[in-house]
Amino acid sequence: MRDTVITKDMIANPTSHYGNAKASTRHFITQRVTGAINIVFLGFLLFIVVRLAGQDRADIVGVLGAWWVGVPFAVLIGVVAVHMRNGMRDTLEDYMHGSVYRLAMLLNTLFCLLIALAGAGAVLKIVFWG
Amino acid sequence: MSVRARPTSPHLQIYRWTITMAMSIIHRATGIANYAGMALLVIWLGAAAFGQDALTSVNFIYGSWFGQLVLFGFTWSLAHHMLGGLRHFVWDFAVMMEPGQREALAWANLAASVVITLLIWTLFVWMV
Repeated sequence: MRDTVITKDMIANPTSHYGNAKASTRHFITQRVTGAINIVFLGFLLFIVVRLAGQDRADIVGVLGAWWVGVPFAVLIGVVAVHMRNGMRDTLEDYMHGSVYRLAMLLNTLFCLLIALAGAGAVLKIVFWG
Repeated sequence: MSVRARPTSPHLQIYRWTITMAMSIIHRATGIANYAGMALLVIWLGAAAFGQDALTSVNFIYGSWFGQLVLFGFTWSLAHHMLGGLRHFVWDFAVMMEPGQREALAWANLAASVVITLLIWTLFVWMV
């Protein structure tokens, strides 16, 4: 969380360990695992949008309200939100530092949380309460 | 993941433009577009959960020519980002990285994203 000036010596020295090895590896693995799962999400999305775009509420409840469609779709929206937050973190790290970065990262987390909660919430509402 | 200040690099304009570089930039751009685009999906789902009146309004906006244009762009953005991700999976096995191969893969990514988008819209929108 602190800005350390990275010198040539630090980069050249293999024992200086700049960067966070554990967190960075977790970030890398998370992005790939969620990315692979997102292909399944896109399959669901294609089916749901093609079937329900422009349709009335009754049709949406009929298709999305089936638990074996709605529940996996709600979970997949959550996975997408994790991928979104991780990916936006990469972008923010490249262009921002210090307190500006931390503020941007906070907004990023809030937006992804909102997408996950509102998206999954809406789908689960349709599944369980019609 | 590191939150320390990173070393900066010379900016884009000093490089000769390459297809791999363009696809890298487009991968990030489509990622950001998909990030924003997810709000469109959530608004639609939220309206459907909320009530018929809200859903009718959203359907009207998304069904307008501008809404359709945005959704067409969103389709391409999702397709391109997915294929870009698959390209990264290929590279994770340390293959297709040599000169020639990586350019072919980048062009294939671009071409396939356009084909997939046109296929989806032709089959499910224009021909319906």
